[in-house]
Amino acid sequence: MNVHLIKKRILDSVTHVILITVALTCVFPVFWMLSSSLKTQDEVFTSMRLLPQSWRFSNYLEAFVQADFGVYFLNSLFYTVVGVFFIVFITSLAAYGFARLEFWGRNALFYILISTLLIPIPGVFIPLYLLLKNLGLLDTRTGLLLCYIAGGLAFGIFLLKSFFDNLPKEIEEAALIDGCSRFGLYWRIALPLARPALATLVIMNSLTIWNEFLLALVVLQDRTKMPIQRGLMVFQGTFITDYPMLMAGLTIATIPVVVIYLFMQKHIIKGIAAGALKG
Amino acid sequence: MFKKLLVVALFACLLPMVAGCGRPRVRGDITVWHWMTDRQAAFDALTQKYYEKTGLRVVFEVFAPEDVYRSRIQAAASGRLLPDIFSPQGDRRELAAFINAGFIANLTEYMNDGWKDMLFERALQPMTFEEDNQWGAPAGIYGVPLDVNSLMLYFNKDLFRRAGLDPYNPPQTWTEFIEAGRALRAAGIQPFVSGFGEGWLINAFATSYKWNLFGREGVLGLIDGTIPYTDPRYVRVLQLFEEMRNHRILASGIVTMVNKDAERVFATERAAMAFNGSWGINVYNSMNPNLNFSVMPLPRLEEGRYPMLKFGGEGSSLFVNEQSPKRDESIAFLRWLTEPEQQAFLARETLNIPSNKEVAEDLPPLLKIFSEHMAYAIEPLPRVEAWQVVNFININLQSIIIGERTPEVAAREIQAEKNRQAARAARRG
Amino acid sequence: MRISNKEKAYNMMFIAPALILFMVFNLYPILRTIQLSFFEWNGIDRHMTFVGFQQYIDILFYNPIFWRSMLNAGYITLLSLTLQNGLALMLALLVNRQIRGDNIYRVIFFLPPVLSGIVVGLIWRFVYDGNHGILNHVLVYTFGLEQFRDFAWLSEIRTALSAVTVVHMWRGFGYGFIILLAGLQTIPQDLYEAAEVDGADAWQQFKYITAPLLIPVFTLVSILTVLGSMQIFDLIYSMTRGGPAGHTHVPITRIYEYMSNGEFGYATAMAILFGIVLLVVSAAQIYVSKKLNR
Repeated sequence: MNVHLIKKRILDSVTHVILITVALTCVFPVFWMLSSSLKTQDEVFTSMRLLPQSWRFSNYLEAFVQADFGVYFLNSLFYTVVGVFFIVFITSLAAYGFARLEFWGRNALFYILISTLLIPIPGVFIPLYLLLKNLGLLDTRTGLLLCYIAGGLAFGIFLLKSFFDNLPKEIEEAALIDGCSRFGLYWRIALPLARPALATLVIMNSLTIWNEFLLALVVLQDRTKMPIQRGLMVFQGTFITDYPMLMAGLTIATIPVVVIYLFMQKHIIKGIAAGALKG
Repeated sequence: MFKKLLVVALFACLLPMVAGCGRPRVRGDITVWHWMTDRQAAFDALTQKYYEKTGLRVVFEVFAPEDVYRSRIQAAASGRLLPDIFSPQGDRRELAAFINAGFIANLTEYMNDGWKDMLFERALQPMTFEEDNQWGAPAGIYGVPLDVNSLMLYFNKDLFRRAGLDPYNPPQTWTEFIEAGRALRAAGIQPFVSGFGEGWLINAFATSYKWNLFGREGVLGLIDGTIPYTDPRYVRVLQLFEEMRNHRILASGIVTMVNKDAERVFATERAAMAFNGSWGINVYNSMNPNLNFSVMPLPRLEEGRYPMLKFGGEGSSLFVNEQSPKRDESIAFLRWLTEPEQQAFLARETLNIPSNKEVAEDLPPLLKIFSEHMAYAIEPLPRVEAWQVVNFININLQSIIIGERTPEVAAREIQAEKNRQAARAARRG
Repeated sequence: MRISNKEKAYNMMFIAPALILFMVFNLYPILRTIQLSFFEWNGIDRHMTFVGFQQYIDILFYNPIFWRSMLNAGYITLLSLTLQNGLALMLALLVNRQIRGDNIYRVIFFLPPVLSGIVVGLIWRFVYDGNHGILNHVLVYTFGLEQFRDFAWLSEIRTALSAVTVVHMWRGFGYGFIILLAGLQTIPQDLYEAAEVDGADAWQQFKYITAPLLIPVFTLVSILTVLGSMQIFDLIYSMTRGGPAGHTHVPITRIYEYMSNGEFGYATAMAILFGIVLLVVSAAQIYVSKKLNR
């Protein structure tokens, strides 16, 4: 064995130790959540054991029925998928515009957009509520979605613009000479190249929309339009929290975001293959 | 990837049709917005009964947790879309703001028609405004209490016994309380826990002793500024917290503990005494069915010249929307809800102390103790301290517990804050 | 190359959808907030009292508590900028080396942001609990440090803010991690191949290829970290409520406090001032990064 290999071995082991330590702290809460979701209410608190005494898988079924997840789940899926789609489409279009194209007031507009990230608006739900009321969109899915999409604009444009800025301009210039339209450049060249950034954006916005409940509970009235977080409310009584049920419900509610992440993170990694830029 | 996303998004657009074909929404004649998730089933049962009796369909819609509920009420108020029955869920100042804005119906004439005689007076006081009150609300009774509660000291009988204390003879005075605490600590048991991380609880504890030393006139004197917070009696209130610190009476981490965590500590027998509300009985039982506990009033101060009163009053209450087209029907419904039969049902199903005095006779033993102590609840005052000062007092109580400030320094700081707020009020004119 | 007006108008189409939504749903609430900050209003009354800049003056000169909360947020932000982003960068680089199990790590490192805030608050309060807390258990029984037997991490002035910061960083590094990972992917692989041929070692590759090309993305992550850390709220609320004795209060908890006590106008004025502070900090960051990039 040569020195080089030994050095690499040691480096790899150190790497793994660091990674595993961090990973353990991330896995523990999940483990606790799963284990608590299978316990009984008094067991969660009186027994400090990590594993439940008897595995009450029925908690899951019970939680699903009690929280009426059937309805809420589909709603959340709808808000998340449609909302994220529009956020990604609208922000990538705008970010491309800001990064590559010339028009009046480009910089000013960009900074005004971004500055909305900076000012926390206390009680923002009130102006939004009034707005939706005036637009006749209170208690509608469209109204809620519009708020969600608008909420993701500044961040999305900011993120994507820095990625577009970073992409080499040469390919686009070549394509432009080949007679490709501006929209074609965006659609066929810039978007595929920015895939890792788009995937990141999808992940982050899915998380935000999936977990949102304040606005939904303020602007929606009809229970059948509400998102999954509304279901979790049932387990958090005014005084008594039903922890096993809550944890079972939270687990059910967390799975979809994990799935979205699993699908999307592949795109982050599969970014630009070595050959993509040579063409 | 983008095209795949497009396909998925198109499919997702079909989802609401699937989701929408669940149960159609029940449109009621009267709509109630409430936050009491755990009472939904009981309310549903009662509304069904009311429907059979009157043909009026009342719908209870729950929005929780409480801050979400408050946000919804605030948004609806700004859009003038409040439901027939709701609650602003705030203190008296906020209630007065709703009244002044014309959102809440004055129930005085209905209450005087025999209604208020059924209810605990203390429960009605927080929603009653006298002539010329500080907030300019027209005099009257505005709300309907559904239940009442108060704060008392829970103690664990088994842990008392283990520390050599008599569980049938709990401490009655402050000195005895400190002694008991020391005995518990010596036996390796944390003596006292409460959600002192939540301002209102630590404030409630201090407020009882403030009344014990100052009486009603004295407390008003503090508010009006005729008695400074550096008064020796007030310093004494602050010293109680220092004493608890010095004798290691307080559970570890109490100053940042929220009440839910404090309840867990008591329920798992890691502390022998807990300062908590009547709801605690159910909470403790649900977490640990074997917990052997009882309740007692807070121990009074030997030098206290005034009665030792409790923090308490209305638990949850509902209000009628003045602008509702179903205003009178809503009032009639709430009246029906506070009648003995419905109150007994609610008390049984939700284990709260009913606001109807007649029903309160027939409660489980521990709840009955709470109910009997309602007579010693602190009455709401016509004027209140500026909220910044109240917050500052709570911060200083925590500060004393963690040993950052002495009671004397804290008293001076509180008075300085009081002066600051007075100056701010003066600047605002 | 001169661009015609017609082309400029065509280009506007790219930002039109975003712009329209932005005007209606973002600009209106902000303008309303700015307007409200000049009024005294309790959030309910029909009547608002115009007070001009008085609330601003009060916050600037008579509200030291608010500025102290700003320092707390600053502390959290500084730690996050260095430690959290350092960790995120390190993990992204490590995972990017395509070591064994990098797939699993990628998934695991994003678990904290995915987890519900309820679980995060509960777990970490268990960890820091003074009586039988997980951390103290480890310190006492594994390391024999008896002095930590009764140590309430969240209730001690010395440790409360740092303890909350640790949770905040733990919860946040996953975001930086995936954005940086995405950034690393946009660096063409052939640059490394060429460097390897030239005999550059790992450090040299990092210094001459990765670092310069990653600066824009790292700036982005830093700005997002500053915004996220300065605007921290939920975590503080669920872990300490600003305690012990106000030592973990941050601007947003203060703004929230004023808002829920019926001082709506005052709270919005606080928010605007806070926004201005953030504006200055972010502008400075962008400026520095542009300097670095040259």
